[in-house]
Amino acid sequence: MYRKLVFLFVLALFAVPTFVSVAQEPQGLPVDVPREEMFVVDQIFRYGVAGNYNIWQTAGTTPHRHAMMDETLWYVDQETGERIYGAAISDPMYNDDFTQMTVELRDNLEWSDGVPFTAADVVYTVETLKATPELGQSGWHAQFNQFVDSVEATDDYTVVFNLLESNPRFHNIFETRWNGMYIMPKHVVENVEGDLGTWTNPDPVVLGAYLPTQYDPNGFWELYERRDNWETSVAGTVIGNPGPQYVLTIFYGDSSRKAIAMSRGELDVYFDADIEAFETTLDTTPTARSWYADFPWAYPNEVSTRQLAFNYETQPLFQDIKVRWALALALNIVELQTEYIGGVAKVTPLPVPATPSLTAIYLDPMQEWFENLEIDLGDGTMYKPYDSTVPDQIAAWAEEQGYTVPGEPAEVFGPGWWKFDPETAEILLTNAGFSRDGGGNWLTPDGEPFTIDLQSPPDENDAFRMANAAADMWSDFGIDVNLSGLERAVWEQNYFVGQVDVYTPWMNFALASGDSWPEVRGDHPKYYVPNGEDVRPAGGNAFFQGQRLQDPQIGEYIDAMAAVAPDDPANFETATEFFKYWTENMYAITAISFKKFVTWDERYWTGFPTAENPDLMPLYWFQGGKFAIQSLTPVS
Amino acid sequence: MTLLRQYILPRIVQWFVVIFVGISVTFLIPRLSPVNPVDQAMGRLTSFQTMDPEATLQMRETLLDLYGLDGSIIDQYLNFWGRLIQGDLGPSFQSFPTPVTEIIGAGIWWTIGLLGTAILISWVLGVVLGSLAGYFPQMWWSKFLERVVITVYPVPYYILAFVLLMLLTYYWPVFPLVGGSRGDPSFTWEFISSVLYFGFLPALSLVIGGTAFRFIMAKALASTEITSDYVQYAELAAVPKRKILFFYIIRNTMLPQVTDLALSLGTIFEGALITEVVFGYPGVGYTLYNAINSGDYNIIMGITLLSIVGIATASLLVDLIYPLLDPRVRLR
Repeated sequence: MYRKLVFLFVLALFAVPTFVSVAQEPQGLPVDVPREEMFVVDQIFRYGVAGNYNIWQTAGTTPHRHAMMDETLWYVDQETGERIYGAAISDPMYNDDFTQMTVELRDNLEWSDGVPFTAADVVYTVETLKATPELGQSGWHAQFNQFVDSVEATDDYTVVFNLLESNPRFHNIFETRWNGMYIMPKHVVENVEGDLGTWTNPDPVVLGAYLPTQYDPNGFWELYERRDNWETSVAGTVIGNPGPQYVLTIFYGDSSRKAIAMSRGELDVYFDADIEAFETTLDTTPTARSWYADFPWAYPNEVSTRQLAFNYETQPLFQDIKVRWALALALNIVELQTEYIGGVAKVTPLPVPATPSLTAIYLDPMQEWFENLEIDLGDGTMYKPYDSTVPDQIAAWAEEQGYTVPGEPAEVFGPGWWKFDPETAEILLTNAGFSRDGGGNWLTPDGEPFTIDLQSPPDENDAFRMANAAADMWSDFGIDVNLSGLERAVWEQNYFVGQVDVYTPWMNFALASGDSWPEVRGDHPKYYVPNGEDVRPAGGNAFFQGQRLQDPQIGEYIDAMAAVAPDDPANFETATEFFKYWTENMYAITAISFKKFVTWDERYWTGFPTAENPDLMPLYWFQGGKFAIQSLTPVS
Repeated sequence: MTLLRQYILPRIVQWFVVIFVGISVTFLIPRLSPVNPVDQAMGRLTSFQTMDPEATLQMRETLLDLYGLDGSIIDQYLNFWGRLIQGDLGPSFQSFPTPVTEIIGAGIWWTIGLLGTAILISWVLGVVLGSLAGYFPQMWWSKFLERVVITVYPVPYYILAFVLLMLLTYYWPVFPLVGGSRGDPSFTWEFISSVLYFGFLPALSLVIGGTAFRFIMAKALASTEITSDYVQYAELAAVPKRKILFFYIIRNTMLPQVTDLALSLGTIFEGALITEVVFGYPGVGYTLYNAINSGDYNIIMGITLLSIVGIATASLLVDLIYPLLDPRVRLR
């Protein structure tokens, strides 16, 4: 009897999974849609709000949704740096003193319900957002109240904004990096009964090419279907290709789960993974690839960069420029980029990424300046710290590994960086009053051990690897470095209130268009907050202000840029001077540009942007990612 | 009447006190944390884009007002109890203005279904198999089961879960990687079978771990019980072994087992974070984790409230059920 029981139990253990797997198709996607008609994308996080498509709410969830559903006036592609006309058909037009902006709109767009899109929709959106504090998405409510006196439609396809003050960059609100003001369907929203702040937009009418049709109440996935009149959407008009009938966004979680999903044919593109999971993907999914078909694979041109940032008040010794330069010269960027990052990101000496457009605007024109830059070692000796051979050294490493470098080293690995020169770093520290103890470890001018509390969040993969490299290299140089890998919220809280010596933010001093002011206005010293107080309530850029840096010269550069139009040559000249000033002072050590293993499987879909076809950015979770999705064609 | 006054009433009063103190402490702790929901929201809203600093300040004021966090902590505490009595847990801050009840409601049934089922199955399996193994220690299957359990039990849960995930979603890809079901909820075989299909793997991981623990406990209790006089007397009297096992041994080892079951069921409302993360399964564990990271006081309060009430109620029920299970408690 008991033997029978045990036998039955063991049998059940094996039989049940077999039974249930036979009862179901061996396919784990949560929707019943023909696979060959559906493009499955990695949802970058699990949504907190499911089924609420009022994207204008303060907590409205934007990634993917805004690319699928929403439109704005202009897009700036991060790969090319070029402006793509969205709902507008020409550039913004300002009057002489930048107190009025006129916009011409496309006359061939329709909402998903077939109603024509007109200037009345834009006017209604601006006025509604201005009047409704509960619709706090992206700060548009606050910014319209700050800048807009009135907005009017002078005809069906022309909108005029009258501004409260001169503002040559007012159009930034309607132009994407991440997003631009989402235009409302006036004929729908004006008929909503009750409070717009709690309205959930249950039956969205969209100007984008896709309509949401199903969602997971727990926020794991959303399914979109292409609207019937997709030709009258912006992406349909610009690309002229229908794109997939369905798009499923789905949250799988960590890198290993994404790699498994792609190997099962249940994920067509993921937004990023660590290099180990990416290599697993290449091994297990023969049809998968990233930006480059071969080494260095990853997409290198997302517009941002990674820093080792000093807190000038937690560790006042950082206020000595010699200490900052010593720390920079004690880093071996070639080893950092290859052994720690895998050779797959571009190096950059500026907080400006080495994308093709920004390289052309800033990094290339500054090459001569970099090479001639001299720093004072503290004893009157001048020293040239720049090393333009860094990309060649990385290329040599790559070839040693058996990789082929797909282009000129400087194009693939960035322009150059600071020399690895511990001897000069030693001179700098010595001239700053430091000394070594009997064990070779550095002592501060007060005779105390020179310690650095370095903090970084492990979930920010490249930042944490960069921090590990810095910890190892500075330790080898004789500095007592304590590296802490902290949960994101704890790490953020520590730099917000100044409980860290060095942290690893990501900062960017220029938009893809080259305009610097929108990215650095929050770095103005007027937003300075002393250590011990939270930097956020002051309103500045928290990543930057976490440094507790007070330099009025920086404020002067920012004010000078604010006064001129973004495409005025004087704007670029001032930005360049600002970058030189920043670099000479080594206010933070910028190491690498952003890179993403945006990886897709060509099993079902083809036509995604690649290094061979770099007309669009592959960053599909940005609002401008819609154009890459619209470009897809089925393999069959 | 004496039973009510001396046994039941004090326990009910204690239940109220535990819940009141628990909720008050839970109200206070997140507010003492440096993680502030307004600043977290500002971080989320501005992390992807550049925003005018003046507009950022104005937005912060708006959020303070919308979230109802502009009064003193005493005002907030009184408002909280006023809302709670009416069954209103307020809005989620990170998903503003979605009500907390709606967010918890989306995950709680998955948590209850998964954990409730897994705990019950592992409890029954553990108690029955453990008692069998304790009663027949020399049988081959008893030794085999014990060796399997001793091998499995020390393996950390997250390792066990990850191994199952790799085995049954990658090497033998028969189970899904994410989600709780397919299609819209309905009373159809298609939907119910998809719930079983999507829930099987996470449930299996929980059942394996839970059964191993309860097997060891039940075997140890049964091993002690078989040496007692009444079991030996029953065997000499040729009472059927099945009867000895279920009515002499298992019943006498039942008190700690029932306590374990009740408390385990009471903790269901905390969710199973590791299970949810590893298997991509819906539930309130991940919701609570996100709420703690983002300082979403109302979500933290809502889930903790459920947990406090669940555990306190389970303890109360155990106390009240004891006299029914064990006559010796009744006598005292």
